[in-house]
Amino acid sequence: MSAEAARAHPRLAHHFESLEKQVHAARLGMWLFLATEVLLFTALFAAYAVYRYLFHETFAEASRHIETWIGLVNTIVLVTSSLTVALGLHRATRGDGKGTALFFGLSVLLALTFLGFKAIEYTHHFQEGQLPGRFYTYGEVTGPGASLFFTLYFLITGLHGIHVVIGMTVLIVVGIRAGRGAFSAEYHVPVELAGLYWHLVDLIWIFVFPLIYLI
Amino acid sequence: MADPHATTHDAPGGHSHVGRYALVWVALLFFTFLTYGLSRLHIAGGWGVVVALAIASAKGTLVALFFMHLWDQRGANRLVFLISLSFVALLVGLTILDNATRFPLANPPGAEGALPAGGADVPPPFQPGERR
Amino acid sequence: MSPSQPPSEAPAYSPRNYLNAPATGLRSWLDTRDHKRIGVMFLVATTVALFLGGVFALLIRIELLTPGPTIMTAMTYNRMFTLHGVVMIFLFMIPAIPSGFGNFLLPIMLGAKDVAFPKLNLLSFYLYLLGAAIALYGMIQGGADTGWTFYTPYSTTTVTKVTPILLGAFVLGFSSILTGLNFIVTTHTMRAPGITWTKVPLFVWSIYATSVIQILATPVLGMTLLLVAIEHAFGWGIFDPARGGDPVLFQHFFWFYSHPAVYIMVLPAMAVISEVVCAFSHKNIFGYKAVMYSSLGIAFVGFFTWGHHLFTSGQSAWDAGIFGVLSMFVGIFTAIKVFNWVATMYRGSISFKTPFAYFVGFLFFLVFGGMTGVALATVSLDVHWQDTYFVVAHFHFIMVGGVMMAFLAALHYWFPKITGRMYPEGWGLVGAVLVILGFNFTFIPQFLLGNEGMPRRYYAYPERFWPLNVASTAGASVLAAGLVLVLVYTIIAIRWGPRSVANPWGSRGYEWASATPPPPENFEETPTFARGPHEYDDSAEAPPTPAAEPSHVR
Repeated sequence: MSAEAARAHPRLAHHFESLEKQVHAARLGMWLFLATEVLLFTALFAAYAVYRYLFHETFAEASRHIETWIGLVNTIVLVTSSLTVALGLHRATRGDGKGTALFFGLSVLLALTFLGFKAIEYTHHFQEGQLPGRFYTYGEVTGPGASLFFTLYFLITGLHGIHVVIGMTVLIVVGIRAGRGAFSAEYHVPVELAGLYWHLVDLIWIFVFPLIYLI
Repeated sequence: MADPHATTHDAPGGHSHVGRYALVWVALLFFTFLTYGLSRLHIAGGWGVVVALAIASAKGTLVALFFMHLWDQRGANRLVFLISLSFVALLVGLTILDNATRFPLANPPGAEGALPAGGADVPPPFQPGERR
Repeated sequence: MSPSQPPSEAPAYSPRNYLNAPATGLRSWLDTRDHKRIGVMFLVATTVALFLGGVFALLIRIELLTPGPTIMTAMTYNRMFTLHGVVMIFLFMIPAIPSGFGNFLLPIMLGAKDVAFPKLNLLSFYLYLLGAAIALYGMIQGGADTGWTFYTPYSTTTVTKVTPILLGAFVLGFSSILTGLNFIVTTHTMRAPGITWTKVPLFVWSIYATSVIQILATPVLGMTLLLVAIEHAFGWGIFDPARGGDPVLFQHFFWFYSHPAVYIMVLPAMAVISEVVCAFSHKNIFGYKAVMYSSLGIAFVGFFTWGHHLFTSGQSAWDAGIFGVLSMFVGIFTAIKVFNWVATMYRGSISFKTPFAYFVGFLFFLVFGGMTGVALATVSLDVHWQDTYFVVAHFHFIMVGGVMMAFLAALHYWFPKITGRMYPEGWGLVGAVLVILGFNFTFIPQFLLGNEGMPRRYYAYPERFWPLNVASTAGASVLAAGLVLVLVYTIIAIRWGPRSVANPWGSRGYEWASATPPPPENFEETPTFARGPHEYDDSAEAPPTPAAEPSHVR
């Protein structure tokens, strides 16, 4: 590709030498951002690890008193949404913007399903008194560490839920743009980056599920 | 990569990745049910969490390599991901090690060997220096 | 440019530069995508923060002039040292050199037109302002009294307004992360042809290492401060022993960031020094690869040492031992750098200008500060020195004696490049002398005080500590005077200073190949660099290239 033709590409920013470098930069930037997201959850996982170690029996008992089937269903839902996002990206590589919009739309529906189940779960927790810290009033699981389990539960799933909402928003915005033909087989970087973010949200849940629900 | 158009590096010859994605999805579902089933067995001695984490890591690896395309991307991106994971291990590892090897009374009340929950007006479970 | 033209007469002063193009006026600055303008705005903001933090410092020192109450109550004193720490660390130390000088210079040093994500860069500046505003709101409400370290359980139960300060720091963390992200991607993807990884200027290497730390460590701080804010506001009890929580866990999380954070502060200072020592010795760096690897070494090994802040907190002996040993390793990399800088000076042609004066101060203070750091990392010694003025003196030697000296060296070295004008050299040296002398009198007494057992963060002290405290306050006044002097002549020179030549130092740094001050796009055409970034040899190492390439730098 000659220098003039590359510079003529409508997507090439003025400060990048070539589209290839720009795409590589976008990807590297996204991976670095994902690294910060991983490290953001790390403190919560470390707190979880320490307190589970210290109060392993209470944590196990508390885990038995939450609805495991919801966790299982949600895992399946989220994993499937990752598949649909991957398929959406695949459509983008073929230049099929409408296909991308369709698959991203499906992913958003699955994400809403996830959030719906979480809402049901949270409602049950509120009703039972399975709440963090000084709000904990659940009589079935007592002893030290009981309220800690639920504090960590709400912190981890809450933070994850916020990321689901962010990811959904990104998927909606990028999906709409893809449906309107903003991307092509040569250039669909935003689709890729949106996908990466969503897969990370799924990846984090993959670890959250056994640690919270399957103790 | 030399080809500026290859953003997701489709396999040469135009074979699509759809089959690959479907296989990964099936594998992920399989591992999900596997980890659920194994958890019902209540594997003893702390190995339960090891098994669960191993399965979760396998699932995570599949997502990272194939859905996130680390399998066919540059080294820099893979390095970023691996380093972030190792730092998770670093923080988790050294903080658990602290609580696991501390003088027991220094752990939070209610933990094994520490003060009972509710404070110090209950006699401690054992005296400092006394061996259990 | 003909091959015979000496490097100091490289591109001439250009009337069209980033200061007046593409537009002038406040709006064009506030909406800029130009990394140079963003860098300048960061420099202005962080300098304001430096003086605000300095005001808190002076108030502390005035209070400590007498053993009993002097000008404030104990509660106010607690707020003073908390705010001094918070402002200095989060609003000056962390962002000043990377987001200020790094933003301005990194793309130019790589022959690039801008950073990889200019809009993210601007966002990073606005996040800085937002974080500062939130923290300032907290300060006006009375501030926190927990110390900048926010240890639980006090920080989760204090009546003071700790939440805005925590949230401000949380937002500032994002600013830091975005800057680091930008720099890493820029270094990977936007180097001009010829700048291979081993021809990257050492300033860039150190900033790159800093950025790695910013990416990996800052999110943990963000989460930790958020947890404290949540517990303070809602009583969720994650660090509360009454609910099974462990207050020391907070310390683990806090220092997991804050120890690497000190390397976020010091690596950019070392970045500056690597450039200054070559320019003012007119000599190539001794051991480029050693300095390069030691930057990366500090960044990584710095992550394995956080527990040395917890030696007396109830941490296990196992952890204490591990962290103690690992902390020893980090000193090795700094020692390598010091050795290489000194070796660079040997047989160089020293030009004793203001930046070099600050470098000399830096060298002594970094060495003594660093050695006391290694001493503190020895568990058996730390048991006596923990939470005394010995620790305070140690980190001020590095922070003020190291980082602030480097900041001032950078300010003077790149003043012509950034402003197109020259500062008054005579006053520059006077300022340097005042700062260095004042520094000595402020902090050397604090080593002695700490060794004799004076605790830190105490507002009253036994009478036997009185004379040294007076000496320290006297020194602080001289230090303050020196800094005010620097501020005054800097402002005067920005506005009325004589126009500078393109490269007043005869430096061979890549950034001097652009015009002074640089045009908005840094270079008319993408430059190619045949020589290394710190090469002062006259021997022809690069083969002669066709004269038709106007932007080729020899």
